[in-house]
Amino acid sequence: MVSHGLVLDLVERVGTVARHGTVSVPLGEGDPEELAATVAAWCARSGNELVEVRGSRAVVRRGRSPDPLAELAPDLVPGTRLWMYTNFDCNLACDYCCVRSSPQSARRALGLDRVRRLATEALAAGVSELILTGGEPFLLPDIDELVTVCTAELPTTLLTNGMLFRGRRLEALRQMDRTQLALQISLDSATPEQHDGHRGRGSWERAVAGIRTAHDEGFRVRVAATLPYEQTHELAAFHTFLDSLGIAREDQVIRALAHRGAADNGIELTLESLIPEVTVTADGVYWHPVSADHDDQLVTRDIFPLQDAITEVRRRFTEQRAQATAAAQWFPCA
Amino acid sequence: MSKPLIVGAVAYTPNVVTIWEGIRDYFAGSASEMDFVLFSNYGRQVDSLIDGTIDLAWNTNLAWVRTVAQTDGACRALAMRDTDTVFRTVFVARTGSNLGGLDGLKGRRLALGSKDSAQAAILPVHFLDHNGPGADEVELLRIDSDVGKHGDTGRSELDALRAVLDERADAAAIGINTWEAIGREELMPGAFEAFWESPTYSHCNFTALPRVPEERTGPWLERLLAMDWDNPEHRPILEMEGLRRWVSPKLDGYASLVEAVKEQGISARW
Repeated sequence: MVSHGLVLDLVERVGTVARHGTVSVPLGEGDPEELAATVAAWCARSGNELVEVRGSRAVVRRGRSPDPLAELAPDLVPGTRLWMYTNFDCNLACDYCCVRSSPQSARRALGLDRVRRLATEALAAGVSELILTGGEPFLLPDIDELVTVCTAELPTTLLTNGMLFRGRRLEALRQMDRTQLALQISLDSATPEQHDGHRGRGSWERAVAGIRTAHDEGFRVRVAATLPYEQTHELAAFHTFLDSLGIAREDQVIRALAHRGAADNGIELTLESLIPEVTVTADGVYWHPVSADHDDQLVTRDIFPLQDAITEVRRRFTEQRAQATAAAQWFPCA
Repeated sequence: MSKPLIVGAVAYTPNVVTIWEGIRDYFAGSASEMDFVLFSNYGRQVDSLIDGTIDLAWNTNLAWVRTVAQTDGACRALAMRDTDTVFRTVFVARTGSNLGGLDGLKGRRLALGSKDSAQAAILPVHFLDHNGPGADEVELLRIDSDVGKHGDTGRSELDALRAVLDERADAAAIGINTWEAIGREELMPGAFEAFWESPTYSHCNFTALPRVPEERTGPWLERLLAMDWDNPEHRPILEMEGLRRWVSPKLDGYASLVEAVKEQGISARW
């Protein structure tokens, strides 16, 4: 038997808060399941939202919570971009690599068949851009085919260290669709010291050469730097250098070093602090590319159907934002 | 750009801020911009309308009747919610009471809401006198828990219902909005049953005085009436304020309250 006062309390207490505000209402005496069902029924009828039942209290939001997805810029909605880790092995062993790639890493390749299927399903799922990363994708003998099946469906970006554009790999690059593909090449500094200090001696020079090659071959080239957070505001010399290479300002990307993978320090990135970007590896679907080697951000082992994975990421993000909002509103200090 | 109209409203819940900011934003950039002032009670609001501090007042039915009385009928109502044209008072008792109608209250105790609530105090007495055994034949338990806000908070009505649950009263008189808010008889099976529902009457309206000419209120009113339930930008405001569309005022819906105020000797101010 549910205490009849519960509904009266709900009406009164929810009436005292502004739209989207939450209140905690004691459930009173009775069967907990029946009490929770009464609160849920009242919320459904009155246009309010039962956030959760916590012990002997129900947390209720006045009105419906705003849709976190609707509050994001369109290009940030999870599933707008699809990241694919083509492989995890790399010719470099950068000391801050977020997925610990190196020449000793197992390849863990996605493979042509899965990349083709992902590209096809991505288009159907409303994805508007594909991003291929690694590891170093140009270590793969079929990188040109991987890129081709992607660019056949959607605009694609290929992340690379730019150091391997020679011989058959240069020929593979030349086979790629310049109208659909952009290359994103990693370069951390305007001079070799900083870049080489993290990525290995001589790597800066070869990366700059790779940028020039890709540019000369007619590709759109983005340059992405990974810098300690405290350096991300001292970039004038770097931008001037990239300008001299012909890189458009909107294609000069600066990323703060993340405390992930091989990095000993950097900004902390958690499920709660990251807006997800659906990321597929040979091992499953992850919350964000920066965490594609960390099980704490594994969403599912099931890559297919891709739509289901995207739906799950969006569901978790929506749920997490709702809980964070409720928690923020229920953290009294006095 | 003409001077914005200043609209008064009573802050009976924090949500009022959200509602009026939404309404203000709806008018922003139009030919009839507005701003709002919140009052803690209707008495102060009506005084401020009359002394010119505000141009329009979002008035309850009692605030309207009092404004009419204080201005010798010179004020005018501009618009109301569709729900304001069909407001009712519902008399409820514990399920199974079988009171059958207002006459069933003879010799029993009826819980009323705040004394300045038209729906939960003033009109119920009027209905007892005109449709029932007479208020003198019923013991009245007055619960004045939100005086000044004319029953807007609903708190005194919820307290009246609690009095019925606690067997401190046999029945309670509440507004149809509170009856809906608690889910009528459906969410609390075995708790309450309605045994009499009043004829419809009018509730709130936007009130203006002659000092604010129709050249100023006309474009504002036109814009107000254009608010569209099917427009996703307008919808949240309409939902929060409890209407589907704004309509022209139904003035004959105030007749019962005018009569009740006169019969019960309720003062024209505060």
